[in-house]
Amino acid sequence: MKLTTRQFKQTARAELNDARTQKFLQILPQRLSALRQAAYQSFTDADATHRFGHAIREEVIQRLPELLEDFEKNALANGAQIFWARDSAAANHYIASLAKAKGARYVTKGKSMVTEELGLNEALALEGIEAWETDLGEFIAQLLGKPPFHIVGPAINIAVEQIRDIFLQKGVLREPTLDPVALGKAARQFLRSKFRDLQMGITGVNMAVAATGTVINVENEGNIRLNKSSPRTLVCVMSLEKVVPTLTDALHMLRVLCRSATGQKAGAYLSFDSGPRRPGEIDGPEELHIVILDNGRSAMYADPHTREALRCIRCGACLNTCPVYGQVGGYPYGWAYSGPMGQVLTPALQGLTDTGDLVRACTLCHRCKIICPAGIDHPSLLLYYRHQDVQKNPRLGGRGAALGEWLGHTLFSLAGTRYGYWRLFTKLARLAANRQRRGDWIHGISAYTQGWFQSRDLPALPEKSFHERWEESKKAEDKR
Amino acid sequence: MKLNHSQKKKVSLFIPCTVDLVLPAIGESTAALVRHLGCTPVYHREQTCCGLMAFNSGFRQQARRLARHFIEVFENDEVIVSPSGSCVAMVKQRYPELFEDQPDWQRRALALAPRVFELSQFIVDHLGIRDLGGACNAKVAFHESCSTLNALGIGPQPKALISAVRGASLVYFKGADVCCGFGGTFSNAFPDISTALVTQKVNAYIESQADLLVMCDPGCLLNIQGFLHRRHPERRALHLAEFLAESIREESKT
Repeated sequence: MKLTTRQFKQTARAELNDARTQKFLQILPQRLSALRQAAYQSFTDADATHRFGHAIREEVIQRLPELLEDFEKNALANGAQIFWARDSAAANHYIASLAKAKGARYVTKGKSMVTEELGLNEALALEGIEAWETDLGEFIAQLLGKPPFHIVGPAINIAVEQIRDIFLQKGVLREPTLDPVALGKAARQFLRSKFRDLQMGITGVNMAVAATGTVINVENEGNIRLNKSSPRTLVCVMSLEKVVPTLTDALHMLRVLCRSATGQKAGAYLSFDSGPRRPGEIDGPEELHIVILDNGRSAMYADPHTREALRCIRCGACLNTCPVYGQVGGYPYGWAYSGPMGQVLTPALQGLTDTGDLVRACTLCHRCKIICPAGIDHPSLLLYYRHQDVQKNPRLGGRGAALGEWLGHTLFSLAGTRYGYWRLFTKLARLAANRQRRGDWIHGISAYTQGWFQSRDLPALPEKSFHERWEESKKAEDKR
Repeated sequence: MKLNHSQKKKVSLFIPCTVDLVLPAIGESTAALVRHLGCTPVYHREQTCCGLMAFNSGFRQQARRLARHFIEVFENDEVIVSPSGSCVAMVKQRYPELFEDQPDWQRRALALAPRVFELSQFIVDHLGIRDLGGACNAKVAFHESCSTLNALGIGPQPKALISAVRGASLVYFKGADVCCGFGGTFSNAFPDISTALVTQKVNAYIESQADLLVMCDPGCLLNIQGFLHRRHPERRALHLAEFLAESIREESKT
């Protein structure tokens, strides 16, 4: 998938001025947050349940290599085939070659962020293979050529008129209608025809169980189950951190995942698949291929700081609670993962060269950290990325600091180590700032601070600092 | 409710650089409250900045320089109190992270951390006092600063102090716990998003029909007050320390 994170600010501004985006941002995140909050009340001890989830993900990221080997061994024993993909190109090549070998002219897909990350649809198209998204929202986004707006509702921001028009244009709909149920039915009928005589289906993976070699998918529309059960060949693509140690662990994570994502105790369809169809079974694919994607994650794992982001289970709770996401929506984040989830994953996987604004587009309010069912400390990670950017970390593609900024922080910090320097610094700062005062307020200082003054004033700096007032009152006291 | 003389303890004032330079009244109100509580405020004139801005901007070397100075200035104090949730969170939670490769300094940071208190936390949790004996006839909206609420877990304490002021009542304030859009340099680097957030905050304040908007962090105050001055100059926002000190002065007049 093409990375457009470099345009974070421009896209954010456009979204702030987009009436439809703003309308949906007033509804969707709050609604999902409220549903999650209500669903968590069904736990006897929500806090303990939350912390247990953190512990499971902690175990996963600490034992990752061993768990993946276990998973491979057990999935192979179940009759699945495993492909370890070093990067997107390797994964796409494997899947496209497989589709060709199986004579598939098209494939169907379940909604998956990892195949967005791969840019799989585009890669298959280059090989002459059509990929049909079968999740309704993802289907609409695909027809429109738009990235997902929200991990749970990829097309929630699209107007019904726009859906009608694109459905008519693409032959999904015959008679124009604005009835959402009729539109849904048209999409369903259109996609059902794709599931018939299906050669190959592709899905993501919510969890992969090391102890049993099982892949688990969660959904509400039933399309993933059709993707898994209809085709002769099934490909399940997982980013390598999706592994969990045992089925018991998976069940716990499902409890928190479904509640965190949509406020449901469980998704409408939970599919557990251990291997392809066995002799005597009436359905299921003849072949099951599991693609385990690295794409930079081994390097992420090797750094104990970035390893923390591999806890993520893609529930989307952080998007719904984030004040910045709540203003700008999913598009500015510019890659497969949006919101705080994207802010901790994208820099590690794509480097800091294009994500400098992304790691700074955060007020460090800590809401994501508090809500995260996997125990990610997003603020700490974002601060780490900022530091690595300033430090020019070569592995992460850090860009280094602008000279002026470096000089400012360095002089400020040097001034802050000596009493005399600091008093001099505060006097100079006051003089400089107050040159621009109009009465008791300052309405602008320099080009560098115009962001602040776009909507705010600053009080003129008082003639006497706290320090000076205190010293004076001390002297007065001593005289008495 | 004052502590009696035998208990009189020294309280070291940790005055954020923004308070020292831009909002000194918050520092003076903090000192007044400490005195009112029967403690003796101590002010180390050598104090400068805790390093929060450098740290949040990724300049850890510079932040460490300031943090080492802070530790040297404050590490012999028994109780350190600051009217800023974000500066307190920096010292208590970020210093250990800042010195992860310098075990000696990390040890000193960890030893200092439990003795640093946010103002309302000091009054309510440390001293066990809720009613400061002030009076103020006003409907009050309370803004939950992110560092105070989410990083330090301090929420009930400031609201208890406000509720105990005679005549003051806390009103429902929609989105009280949602960020005001300050975020330090964020407000300057992402002005569109920051403005959208502070607009939302101030609109909710106006809808709440409160007379005052009170908060525990000078950063949020600069942001909200600066926005109010530009768009709604008739509206007032102030720091908890100022609100409490004013209400005590008000009570002593009558």
